[in-house]
Parts: sequence; structure tokens; C-alpha cells
Amino acid sequence: MNFLASSIESLGTKVVGWFTVAYGMFAFLAQAGLLLLDRTTWNRATFDVVIKQIYFTAVQILHVFLGYTLVISWLIITIILSTARDFGLTEFASEMTIRVLVLELLPFLTALFIALRSGSAINTEVALMQVNNELDALAHCKVPPMQFEFLPRLIGGVISVVTLAGLAGLLAMLMGYLAIYGINTAGFEPYTQTIAKIFDFEIMAGLIAKCALFGLAVTLIPVTAGLETPKKLFMVPVSVLRGMMRVFFAIVAIEVVSLALKYI
Amino acid sequence: MTAVADLNDDVARVALDLPLRANLSALDNIALIPLYQRHYGAAESVQQAQAMLDQMGHAEIALLRDPDMTPAQRFVTKLARALILKRPRLVIDRPGAMLYDVPYPAFIRQLATQAGMTGTWEIFDFSWNQALYKE
Repeated sequence: MNFLASSIESLGTKVVGWFTVAYGMFAFLAQAGLLLLDRTTWNRATFDVVIKQIYFTAVQILHVFLGYTLVISWLIITIILSTARDFGLTEFASEMTIRVLVLELLPFLTALFIALRSGSAINTEVALMQVNNELDALAHCKVPPMQFEFLPRLIGGVISVVTLAGLAGLLAMLMGYLAIYGINTAGFEPYTQTIAKIFDFEIMAGLIAKCALFGLAVTLIPVTAGLETPKKLFMVPVSVLRGMMRVFFAIVAIEVVSLALKYI
Repeated sequence: MTAVADLNDDVARVALDLPLRANLSALDNIALIPLYQRHYGAAESVQQAQAMLDQMGHAEIALLRDPDMTPAQRFVTKLARALILKRPRLVIDRPGAMLYDVPYPAFIRQLATQAGMTGTWEIFDFSWNQALYKE
């Protein structure tokens, strides 16, 4: 009986914990959203920090990211093409390449890439700021941490994931064309027709929304996880661990929901 | 000491529990105030911050970040940040905890006598350190 009671109690504590975390995240998001609508937020200082964030999140890693996209795309395209040839489905190869790579795999991998590089850094930095009282110091100086530290990271994350996933998609489409038709213009018309057929308004809007949600997940979750850190230095690794686990589950959940909405 | 932390908004505090932003230089830490409070442009804010450091005789620390500073340099940056807030009162809270590499009463006195320093600086320190201020 005691075991049953303690199990229920522990489950209840966990559920309450999840709800508290979710509430904290949505409250933070609502606060950020309201601040976005406030005209005073859009001053030169905030704009400069947003530009800096985009530079650190997207521009600084561009060459590594494009190299990684090139390798992954080349491998997947080769696998799709050889499988399509084996099954006599060559005419579907270009559509399959675009659907698998551009719509699903590359946005997912971009989000993972940004999460591992920038998300973990954001989580650690915010946790350290929390532990070292730096946020209290900013508050004492009446420098709003939301405008100076958090909002630029959220905006930078969303813009970075959307643009990097877009760039990766363009690169993959170019590679797909080269792999299927080679260096000539013979396949230009059928290939562009396939692209036009796939990318209707609904798919484009869904893709942009999915990438924006990925961008939000890889920045919002680390920020809120960092802010939850108790003021003890040894809790920083725990905060990063929790934050990155949540980011992973959020990215997977977004991908699963997007697939379900598209194909079920 | 809780009373010091609870001082109201018209007090600019220099304290161990109000650290600098670790990944910003001394100049950027000070420039944040005119940038976000008075909405000056970035260049003008940096200029004001540099002028403050010049006035305090520590222009050389402008580009240093917190971990690269000596305790005295860190204190000077915190003091410059507090001064640029332009609040009616300035409280230095337990200076001994921040200035452990210099004889601090003399160091603070020297900073206070720099040209152009206005207002009264209040020092909150432990009673057993009172003797140090009489030297």
C-alpha cells in the first residue's frame, strides 16, 4: 500500500513538474510575444543584438553547415537514386529526393545542428548568468534582460533555422538535379515542374512554420531551462542536460506532428 | 547586509553580488546603461563609457572582460557602471570583498578625488574595518 501511494505521489510530482515547466515556457513565450509587439522594443540596441545573434548562430557556421549539407544530401540522393533504379521508379526519383530531403530531413538536421551548437551554448550561458547573479545586476541597472539577452536570441534562432534550412534545401535541389540529369539543361523543365507541383502554398507555409517552430524550440527551451537553474554552480550541467533533452523531444514532436498533418 | 541589498531604486550599488556581464568588455558593460536607459546610439554610448573610464584614470581596462581583470580593475568597472547610472546616491557595499588586492580605503579615496567626480559615495563596511579608514 505504501509502495502504491509513493508511486502515485512520485508520478503526481513528475506530472506537476512537467506542467510547471510547460507553463513557464508558454508564459515566457507570451511575454516575449507581447514585447515583440511593443514599439519601444524595436530600438537600435535590440536590433544590433539581433544582428549579432544571427551572425553567431548562422553566418559564423555557414561554411561548416554547407559542407555538412553537401555530404548528407549527396549520400541520401545517391541512396534514393540507386533504390529508384533498382525498383524501376526512376521517374519518381526527383520528387522523392525533394520530399525526403528538402521537406523533412534537412530542416530536422538543421534544427539539430543549431540545437547542439547554439542551443547548448545559450542554455549554459543563461544558467551561468542566473547562478552568478548577472541577471540581478542587469535588473539593478534597469537594463531589461528580456530585450537585451533573451528576445534577440529567440529572433536570431528563428531567422537562422529558417534561412539555413532554406539554403540547405536549395543546395539539395541543385545537387538532386545534377545527380539525376547531370551538367546539362535537358532536365530543367521536368525538374522545375516537379518542384512547382510539390511546393504549393500549403506545403511552403507548413515548411516555414515548421522551421520557425524548430528555431523557437532550440532557443526558447534552453533559455527557460537556464532561468530555472538554482543558484548553485554544480547545477549548471544538470540544467544543460535537462534543457537539451527537452529540445530533443520538442524537435522530434514538431517533426512527428508535421509528418502526421501532411501524410495522415 | 540584507538591508543594503534592499535599498531603493534611487541608489546605485557597487557590490560583490552585482557582477559584470562576463562576456562583455568593461566598455560594453558601462555602455549598456546609456544604450538601454537613455536610448543613445551604440557609438555615443561607447563614447560616454570611454569618457567615464578616462575620467577615472583607467582607460586601459576598456577592452578587458571580467575574467581578465584584476579585482581593482573589476571594481573600477563596477564603479563606472554605477556612476553612469546617475542616481542620487551611490553605495559601495563591503568594498573589502571586492578590493582584496589593494589597500582599499586609499584606492577608493584616490578614485573619488579624480577630476569631475560629483556626489557623495557611501561606504557600507563591517565595523571591525573602521580602523582602516582612519589611516
